[in-house]
Amino acid sequence: MARLQLDSVQKRFGEGDDSVLAVNDLSVDIADGEFLVLVGPSGCGKSTTLRMVAGLETITDGEVRLNGEVMNERGPAERDIAMVFQSYALYPHMTVRNNMRFGLEESTDLDDETIDDRVESTAELLEITDLLARKPGALSGGQQQRVALGRAIVREPKAFLMDEPLSNLDAKLRSQMRTELQQLQADLETTTVYVTHDQTEAMTMADRVAILDGGELQQVATPLEAYHRPANRFVAGFIGEPSMNFVDCSVAGETLVADDFAYPLDAASDSASDVIGSLDETAGATLGIRPEDVAVVEGDGGDDDSAAAAGDRLAVADEPLPDDVDASHAFAATVGVVEPMGDENVVHLALDDGPELVATMDGLRRVREGRRVTVGLPSNAIHVFDAESGEAVRNRSLETAALDAARV
Amino acid sequence: MSSPSSAAPHRGDSDDAPDEQGGSEPATRTDGGAVVDGADEPAVATGQTKPSWLARVQQSSFLESLPFWGPPGLLVLLFVYGAIAWNFVISLTGWEGLGAPDYSSLSAEMYARLLSDPSFYAAFRNTLVLLVAFTALSLVVGLLVAILLDQQIRFENTVRTIYLLPMSLSFVVTAIFWSWMYNPRIGLVNEVLRSLGLGGLTQAWLSDPQFKLGAIVFALMWQFSGYCMVVYLAGLRAIPDAQYEAARIDGASTIRLYWRVIVPQLRASTMSAAVVLVVFALKAFDFLFVLFGVNPGESADILSVMMYRVAFDRIQWAYGSAVAMVLFAMALGVIGPYLFVQYRRGEL
Amino acid sequence: MSTDATSRPSIAGVDVSRVALYAALLGMVAFYLAPLESGLATAFKTPEGFRTTTPFALPPVGEFTVDAWGTAFDRLGTGLTNSALMAVPATVLSALFGSLAAYGLTNLEWRGQVGVLMLFVAGVFIPYQAVLVPLTQFWSFVDLAGRLPISAVDRYEGLINLSITHVAYGVPICTVLFRSYYATIDDEMLEAARLDGASAATIYRRIVLPLSVPIFAVTLIYQFTQIWNDLLFAIVLVSDPSNQVVTVALNQLQGSFVQQYNLQMAGAFVAALPTLVVYVLFGEQFAKGVAGET
Repeated sequence: MARLQLDSVQKRFGEGDDSVLAVNDLSVDIADGEFLVLVGPSGCGKSTTLRMVAGLETITDGEVRLNGEVMNERGPAERDIAMVFQSYALYPHMTVRNNMRFGLEESTDLDDETIDDRVESTAELLEITDLLARKPGALSGGQQQRVALGRAIVREPKAFLMDEPLSNLDAKLRSQMRTELQQLQADLETTTVYVTHDQTEAMTMADRVAILDGGELQQVATPLEAYHRPANRFVAGFIGEPSMNFVDCSVAGETLVADDFAYPLDAASDSASDVIGSLDETAGATLGIRPEDVAVVEGDGGDDDSAAAAGDRLAVADEPLPDDVDASHAFAATVGVVEPMGDENVVHLALDDGPELVATMDGLRRVREGRRVTVGLPSNAIHVFDAESGEAVRNRSLETAALDAARV
Repeated sequence: MSSPSSAAPHRGDSDDAPDEQGGSEPATRTDGGAVVDGADEPAVATGQTKPSWLARVQQSSFLESLPFWGPPGLLVLLFVYGAIAWNFVISLTGWEGLGAPDYSSLSAEMYARLLSDPSFYAAFRNTLVLLVAFTALSLVVGLLVAILLDQQIRFENTVRTIYLLPMSLSFVVTAIFWSWMYNPRIGLVNEVLRSLGLGGLTQAWLSDPQFKLGAIVFALMWQFSGYCMVVYLAGLRAIPDAQYEAARIDGASTIRLYWRVIVPQLRASTMSAAVVLVVFALKAFDFLFVLFGVNPGESADILSVMMYRVAFDRIQWAYGSAVAMVLFAMALGVIGPYLFVQYRRGEL
Repeated sequence: MSTDATSRPSIAGVDVSRVALYAALLGMVAFYLAPLESGLATAFKTPEGFRTTTPFALPPVGEFTVDAWGTAFDRLGTGLTNSALMAVPATVLSALFGSLAAYGLTNLEWRGQVGVLMLFVAGVFIPYQAVLVPLTQFWSFVDLAGRLPISAVDRYEGLINLSITHVAYGVPICTVLFRSYYATIDDEMLEAARLDGASAATIYRRIVLPLSVPIFAVTLIYQFTQIWNDLLFAIVLVSDPSNQVVTVALNQLQGSFVQQYNLQMAGAFVAALPTLVVYVLFGEQFAKGVAGET
């Protein structure tokens, strides 16, 4: 167990003009026992960061500290860290037992009996005791993954490093292992740094997530923090599936405008002037809203000619919008593609005023393609980002947002 | 060493965190975490943040790799590069006969002698002829046999083993076989010709200057085409079946199919096999020595035999070294570009 | 290759092109085996039988004898032993060196690796003539028998010199063979071993070496064939007749039995026997070694 600190860590590959800055000035403080997930798109530098912590890459600048001790100069063997690789990296000519014994044989002075005890108790923990005599070639992917885990756990290291350990598993197995891994980490209380490109894994497993893009750290926060209060547009768009809706607007007074679309910022409750003030007026702003916050009601507030003309006897009267949607934040739209997921419907909407949005709604609600609807964008649910820097200027307010079952 | 924000963060804390609406600094948001500022923690030795030179050397694992490739590397350095350099120096002396070489006065005298030696030109010419003919013939036969083998035949492995068999034999052994095969009266070659009614084509293969070199080329091809076959077979196997099918659908006849589609893709195999063949042809000594001793005669004398004759039979060491340097230069001329191309292609 | 059978010409249902194919293959078999078959047949013929039959005909009844083989064994026996004494250690050592060198140049990362590797690879291609004269000088200077007053060294000096020479010149090709194999070893697995606390030497001993068994087979088979079959180094470096290896002995035999082809053939087969046996048993590995040169 240990506290792991990355202090202004930088990694540059190559030299001079041809060099590539893979990780730029990354600082994260990971507490003892914490499960930190490094997440980001391919090439964002998360694996490089992990390998620097492991000692498999040299650190160009900055420090990595484990329990206060600087690790930069130490080889991987001397850091008391265990790693689980994406490809599992098991020793093919050794049995599972010997795979698990190897680390203890090479890095400790323990006698054979103690080593065997540890191997056996770890095998029990992972339910692979009956695999101990087999070789990796005779194991399934899931079993190999457990052995790789076992190899790391048995060493009782100061920290676990995991490099996308679940990505080679099929979807069902992956979600099963996710839960198991979480439970394991909670039981073992070992500091863990986990790398993945899958934001679902990040959200479900992490105590905190560190989101990277292009070598730069975007945000370090708990998953829900990152979800509800993203630091910038990248984080907002990366976290959450389906991803947040973005509308690029320009600023006209206290209204966000995009062609015919106009969203007035509510002066009273949103401190609109503060929001506008912190924007670079010339750049513009991006309006963001999560699909589950987009309210959709049948009818477009106009006449029902289209429905009547089509002889649609199921046409209903216009529904009212939810309470927290102001009339100025309601827009007519046509339903495009509907993706029924079972638990929810993902609905693609084309607003009359221009923007195309995605909304999610309860799976039991039936919405049909081509229908006319009214879309509501509640002011307490919108995010505003500076169009140039991407910084979040305003995030949704959590206090006023009721955990509304109908919307979620 | 306390962090400005909450201690052990866990999920569900988001409600407790301060509501940060409105203007935040452009700095990275670190809710629930801490930016560790070195200045805040004087207790921790920050020291250098850049790895020291010594650490980089150690980390670069150069030193720890040295015990592995060092001793073999030393052997190669001495026996290959050192020896060649020494050979070059010897070629600059006038050393011959018994006694030690005189390293004090070095000159290119031996090379001058080479250029005025008609037997050198003969050997040089023969070497080139051997090189080209042997390489071309072996490649062609090897390719044809490989194509035959690639046709999904039964007993493929057995047949392949038979074709490669000659490569496992010493050249001494094959020279003995072929000296008998080429015997004008009772040798297999002339016997077969006679039995086919082509008695008029029989020759004194190994004594007639016209045919000596050709006979040698043929015999060496017999031994080496198996190697080419192995190389080409691997190359053929690497070509996806779909290409054969696509060409057939396009209406290509078999010959055109192979000539225009398959063979061009075997360029890499051809190159690497050719390099090996050429270099072998340059140093081929055993075969001719057993057949002809040190004097194959003007029509079949090649540089490698000449070198041996000059150095070990006539004991003209320096002159022999000079011939050897010519051989080395020729080999270099072939492998230099080849290695360069391989390196560029990253196939090293 | 095309598996479309419908467009093939056939006569009475028999696929003509397949017949032609097998005929051609058979022809090539005859081409490659004819010398050997004839040689073998001849080796069992009496001189009378040899004179009266065609080369590839089997020995006629009454003219079958193993006399030639007896003579051959008499003449080549010492050579066989000497070759074995020289070739086996040289094969093992050059393979071992090749493995070590390839490991240091492939699985451990350091700058300048590729350059050093190229120097090894270039060593595969040198014509041996370019080092013969210096070698003779070198070994007479080293003078093992003079410096190490051990009777075994004195008795086998020529073979020892030859053996060491073969080790040195075998290192490049062995390194190349091992290198292409070691390049396929999973880097992450070696990194995992590092994190497990293993040093470079431990990784070699406990992981790389056990995984090298197939490539060792290939290299040992190939190298043994090359070293056993060599003539040039043997002639140049070994002057003592008692240290003569089988290739040299065979050459002499040929010289002393000119025109007596039955004896020559028997001798050739006796000398080739070990490599032939190895080839028949391990042809697969040999083929891989041959192909590995590319």
